[in-house]
Amino acid sequence: MEKIVEFSHVSVEFPGVRANDDVSFSVNKGEIFALVGENGAGKSTLMNVLYGIHTPASGEVFVKGEKVTKFDPKEAIRRGIGMVHQHFMLVPSFTVAENIVLSREPKKGILCDRKEERRQVADLSREYGLEVNPDDVVGDLSVGLQQRVEILKTLYRGADVLILDEPTAVLTPQETAELFAVLRRVVAERGMTVILITHKLYEVKEISDRVGVMRRGKLMGIHETASVTAEQLAELMVGREMAPTPEKEEMTPGEAALEISNLHADNNRGQEALNGLSLQVRRGEIVGIAAIEGNGQSELLEAVSGMRPYRGKITVNGGDISGKTPGEIRKLGLSHVPEDRLSTGVDKDASVSDNLLAGKEKEPEFSAHGIHLHPKAIRSYAQKLYEAFDIRGAGIDVTAGSLSGGNMQKVVIAREMSFGSQVLLIAQPTRGVDIGAVEFIHRQIRTQRAGGAAILLSSADLDEVLSLSDRILTVYEGKITGEFFPPYSKTEIGLGMTGTSKEAAHE
Amino acid sequence: MNKKKINWGYFGSLILSVVLALAVGAAIMAATGYDPLNAYHELFRGATGCDNLGQVFTGLFTKRQFGNTVEYAMVLFLTGLACAVGARAGIFNVGGEGQLYLGAIVSAYLGVVLNGLSPWIVIPVAALGAMAAGALYAWIPGVLKVKKKVNEVITTIMMNSIAIYFCAFLSNGPWKTSQPNRVSGTDPLDNVYRFTQLIRGSNLTTAIFASAIIAFFIWYVMSRTATGFEMKLTGHNPRFAKYLGLSVDKLVIGSMVVSGAICGLVGMMEAYGVRGNYQDGISNEYYFDGLLVAMIMGYRPVGIIVMSFFFAFLKVGAAGMELNAGVPGELYRIIQSVVIFFMAAEGGVKALLKVRRAGKEGAKHG
Repeated sequence: MEKIVEFSHVSVEFPGVRANDDVSFSVNKGEIFALVGENGAGKSTLMNVLYGIHTPASGEVFVKGEKVTKFDPKEAIRRGIGMVHQHFMLVPSFTVAENIVLSREPKKGILCDRKEERRQVADLSREYGLEVNPDDVVGDLSVGLQQRVEILKTLYRGADVLILDEPTAVLTPQETAELFAVLRRVVAERGMTVILITHKLYEVKEISDRVGVMRRGKLMGIHETASVTAEQLAELMVGREMAPTPEKEEMTPGEAALEISNLHADNNRGQEALNGLSLQVRRGEIVGIAAIEGNGQSELLEAVSGMRPYRGKITVNGGDISGKTPGEIRKLGLSHVPEDRLSTGVDKDASVSDNLLAGKEKEPEFSAHGIHLHPKAIRSYAQKLYEAFDIRGAGIDVTAGSLSGGNMQKVVIAREMSFGSQVLLIAQPTRGVDIGAVEFIHRQIRTQRAGGAAILLSSADLDEVLSLSDRILTVYEGKITGEFFPPYSKTEIGLGMTGTSKEAAHE
Repeated sequence: MNKKKINWGYFGSLILSVVLALAVGAAIMAATGYDPLNAYHELFRGATGCDNLGQVFTGLFTKRQFGNTVEYAMVLFLTGLACAVGARAGIFNVGGEGQLYLGAIVSAYLGVVLNGLSPWIVIPVAALGAMAAGALYAWIPGVLKVKKKVNEVITTIMMNSIAIYFCAFLSNGPWKTSQPNRVSGTDPLDNVYRFTQLIRGSNLTTAIFASAIIAFFIWYVMSRTATGFEMKLTGHNPRFAKYLGLSVDKLVIGSMVVSGAICGLVGMMEAYGVRGNYQDGISNEYYFDGLLVAMIMGYRPVGIIVMSFFFAFLKVGAAGMELNAGVPGELYRIIQSVVIFFMAAEGGVKALLKVRRAGKEGAKHG
């Protein structure tokens, strides 16, 4: 079999991380090759090397037997590599035809030949069976059609190796089925090669010929898809070892403080993100959500905090939150560490002191009758929190934006934990946080639990969820697929996260 | 909030840009054959009415020119603060000019209709009417922005023209004066209702006292109250404010309404002060000058007040310079533009430094 792409001992380094570690494998001409792994396993990085966006620190890449010497997308396109990114690179106000030929327009003298352009695009679309109307404006098209335009764009540029980065993440099931039909056709009829990045294992089983599994930058193995089960793949993805039992004092959970039943909510694209999810969190308990990104966990926390409309029932400390604003929900006794601290968790242009105070400015301690601020009381309060939460920066008067990620997160944690709320939503508590601060933040979360708070934790870092949670719920495509108690089995949790567990299997 | 320390770096760069602007102005005058020293002396004389610094200490407060400078500074800082109130909460009121016109005509009309009543009734009613007119007119774009995501800059600019032409219609039509020697404008207000002149022959009236109280109030709300604090968070990052549980919509609409009310009141001060009635062109784009000052000073109340005096000094002084040194008054515009240019460049330099610092930190933390 002819090797069309070959990686040989490829390593990619980013400051502080080894995104790919000595990866070697090859992809054969005319196959559909799936690359699977958790978030941050290094799949996209590796494919970005092939597409010339990243240059490997060491190792070699061969395309059609030729060694790649210059890592540059133009060079990659010349070699016949095409990539469809997760976030489309299209001009929304241009037509389909204009987008497809962009930068390589057919010319008539010095002018673009629009007629010829439309003809070429129509021919291409017919040739590959990818139906589009060349005159439609891209911004008006559905996501599935936009993706088709992206694929046509790579074909127009002469690609015969097509990389798709999580192509189905944005698609409806029907669109996914259509995409797969198209992929099968271009492979069978045109002899193209397709590399598919995904973390949906049933898709791997459905469409790929071979599958490579990555974990923490390393390639865990290559398998013939037919000879491997989804369970085995899940195990390769997350590892098989048992998670260490979290060290923490025994707590007997109290009554339920957060109750969610039959929750439905849409994501920002208007697709269903939560699909009848129900759960309870009791006082003195940390419930961890284990899910691969984009399976509804973000929408879940936003719905509970009042930042996203939902259908279903949510009660916080016994109070129904339907129709309530985030402020009213907070008054019921809820605090929220949001997943994106920069856009939601802090005001980076305001001082650290302001950020620590925010939300309490009308309390009698800090303002007379909720009007006249007491700067002295505010300063000493902010200083106290600053020290108690070990925030390291140039004091409480500098802007929050000048702090490092870890210290900014400590500001958020300090503020949210100082309300004395009985229900805590914590998302990505340590994303982008330096190691020293991670331990500190974990300790704070445990302290809150010991104080009787009901904590709902969500994190892309599975080890974090494993080490903090008293109970883990796996969520897949907006539904709970399993409930787990310590000692946790990573294999079973991995199956739940990928929708391959027994409960999820018969749906 | 509660920034005790003066931002010396910012203060320094402000002074520097003013000095540089004056130097550029001098260079232009020298190049075009005028004597810069003489011109600046006339500028000083035009703005203060004093020949030298000695006179400033002895007779400044009797000088007509000085009165005009203070009056114009008053208009600038009120409109500038009006702009800042909105901007602080993240809504950019470009419609202050229209709100000012409406305030002027409504208050002038009330003064005519209520003629004969005690000034203790008429003036408060006129002031409230002016504020209500400005507030209501600002409320519309505020609500449109909050509820329908309509860009307030576009709506307020458009609404300026609507208001100004509507006022022109009223003052040339239904509300036109019946006095035979006037072609347009409302009937003149009875002298008992007008603000008292403070310096003979100048525009400066007792309205300055009301303005000082308003300016203090705005400064107080913006920098010393919980509401001002919440406005700031909302203006910086509305998503953060919403997440914190603040009533973002109310804050945005509320600050827009206050902004409009101040503009309406400035209109009333013009009608009841300098002019004595409503007339077309009652505001010579005052609001846009104030908006400029507010933007240059980064919407900081104290800075706006200081800068207003400087710009008023330049503008009023330019008339004297033109008259006595023969330098075209446009030079004032040049100097003003150069100050703005340097201030903007100062922001650019700061931003550049920030990016470099952030880049370094990013590399450090990965």
